[in-house]
Amino acid sequence: MKLYSLSVIFKGATKANLLKAAYDLSSFSFFQRSSVQEFMTFTSALIVERTSQGTRASVKEQEYLCHVYVRNDNLGAVVIADTEYPQRVCFTLLDKVLEEFSRQVDSIDWPSGSPETINYKALDIHLSKYQNPREADAMTKVQAELDETKIILHNTMESLLERGEKLDDLVAKSEHLGNQSKAFYKTARKQNSCCEIM
Amino acid sequence: MAESDEEVDVLVQRVVKDITNALKRNPNIDEIGVIPCPEARYNRSPIVLAENKLGIESWCVKFLLPYVHNKLLLYRQRKHWVDRQALVDITCTLLLLNPDFTTAWNIRKELLQNGVLNPEKDLYLGKLALTKFPKSPETWIHRRWVLQQILHTFSDANHKKNEQGEREQANAVRSQQLSDHLARTLHQEMNVCSDAASRYPSNYNAWSHRVWVLQHMAKGNIKVFHDELSSMRLWVSMHVSDHSGFHYRQFLLNELITELCRASASTTWLAQQQSSTVSNSSLHQHSCTERNGELSGADTASEEERQFSLPTVLQLFLQEMELCSDLIQSFPGHETLWSHRRHIFFLWHQWRTEHQHNCHSKGENVPVDVSDGNPGMLVQSSVGQGESVNCKTHASEPMEVDTGLLPDPHDSKRLKRGVLPSCPPSLPSEHSFVSIILESCCNYEQRRFALAYKKWLGTVIGLQG
Repeated sequence: MKLYSLSVIFKGATKANLLKAAYDLSSFSFFQRSSVQEFMTFTSALIVERTSQGTRASVKEQEYLCHVYVRNDNLGAVVIADTEYPQRVCFTLLDKVLEEFSRQVDSIDWPSGSPETINYKALDIHLSKYQNPREADAMTKVQAELDETKIILHNTMESLLERGEKLDDLVAKSEHLGNQSKAFYKTARKQNSCCEIM
Repeated sequence: MAESDEEVDVLVQRVVKDITNALKRNPNIDEIGVIPCPEARYNRSPIVLAENKLGIESWCVKFLLPYVHNKLLLYRQRKHWVDRQALVDITCTLLLLNPDFTTAWNIRKELLQNGVLNPEKDLYLGKLALTKFPKSPETWIHRRWVLQQILHTFSDANHKKNEQGEREQANAVRSQQLSDHLARTLHQEMNVCSDAASRYPSNYNAWSHRVWVLQHMAKGNIKVFHDELSSMRLWVSMHVSDHSGFHYRQFLLNELITELCRASASTTWLAQQQSSTVSNSSLHQHSCTERNGELSGADTASEEERQFSLPTVLQLFLQEMELCSDLIQSFPGHETLWSHRRHIFFLWHQWRTEHQHNCHSKGENVPVDVSDGNPGMLVQSSVGQGESVNCKTHASEPMEVDTGLLPDPHDSKRLKRGVLPSCPPSLPSEHSFVSIILESCCNYEQRRFALAYKKWLGTVIGLQG
């Protein structure tokens, strides 16, 4: 079980604004890491954009699960994990991070802040601590507090998209993704359909 | 971009040369990868080196692969001559990009047998290829072939030693070097397997290679098996749906139990050691002597070891069941954990049956009191120790019975950790475990697995017992 990324994002009126993020990409091949990171940022922002206020959701994409919580004050957080990682622990982590973040960072800074300007350093620590869910928090303690039935489950990223919208188009249009990442996305897509050497 | 045949020729030769030079100059390269890059940029080499990682830009692969493929096939069909050094370089490039190309590995086998290549180099090449293709069956197969070559050299060296008794001292040094070398190789193989297993989930090829390595390079070496079992504990706890990883654990347990029982069955541990070294190949002799060297107390502790090996078996089962229960409860809904439980319980059930049988066949009138039907098993916390007594009695040490009643060091450790001491697993205890799960958990999958386990207990174990 593994956590790959943890990000705090503000859900603005038109688009999501990344405030702070932490990544653990050690399990990815070295030359893919930068692209993978860009994709995780892109995906996290997209998910927050498409999640309504006051909801928790889990989005399945290939072998990854993206867990999102957007609070009523439009502050949201996303954790990207593998499918093995317990869902409850992810939402515990999200609650905790959002609570801590809103205590430390003034809400005036949320709409315009960026990872460089926001002063909140705990994300990396949380991400590495929660890699082993049993050492992080007593897992059982929080279990009862979370009503699992209220978590929306999306089986693909596509189900977050609007009618006529395509993920490929969003990737092609994105400003967050570099050329290498877009090429990476294309090869990954191709590989899914047939077995190729690279 | 290169397009005409000539240009491709020049490009490929350059890339092959670049890769060879990069590997030569940086012996610490530990990973390879393809960099997504559809078009060639500037007039730059497509080979990139960063932080000991070797990257190949993707645009050149489509020129490179068909070209080297062809060249090797033509060489194989004897239509085209390629000199040895070129063969080494071409196969290296090709295998890094397509490690399942058997012909290339076969060419390298020939080069290895002719002494052009050394085995370490091929193990290293395989290791690099596995960082990009962690499952590649041909790479694992070739790896085993190379390891067998190393083992052959090892046993040859030992034979020579036996023949030429007069140069004993020099040979002792040499054989020490060889066994150190073998220990290093074993360690390296374990690392390669771990790396591949974490790069690809349920990597059956990596785990079965690991099993092969232990069977061929550490057979009967209880210490190695013990170390593996404890180092795997955290890994399986973090990969609760990796069936291959759990299967490896089952293999370790099975081997350990067989070895421990063998050890306790023979009259003395040392005699058993010697008999095993005689019957085994000279290679094993070395792993055994080495083990004794490592565990300086092994010889002195042998007497105790023999007496305690049966309780140790019980301890192994208890700890494994405890780990399994803990994981099932912490991570609901993983079938792997439930099938691991089945395996462990089955192994335990079988071992107990055999053990009882042995007792009776030896005519000892001390029955091993671990029957399924004993309901006291569930409430009596001292039963675990009670059984230890019986096991020890089986090892015909009646005078030692009293020590069995002293608190088991493992048990007290468990108490310190705040976990209740467990009873040996039995049908009723398994049923009550299932009931607890069914009562407390509302995860659909978890309930399904629990019910299936219950059914399995009833049909498979119930009918046998």
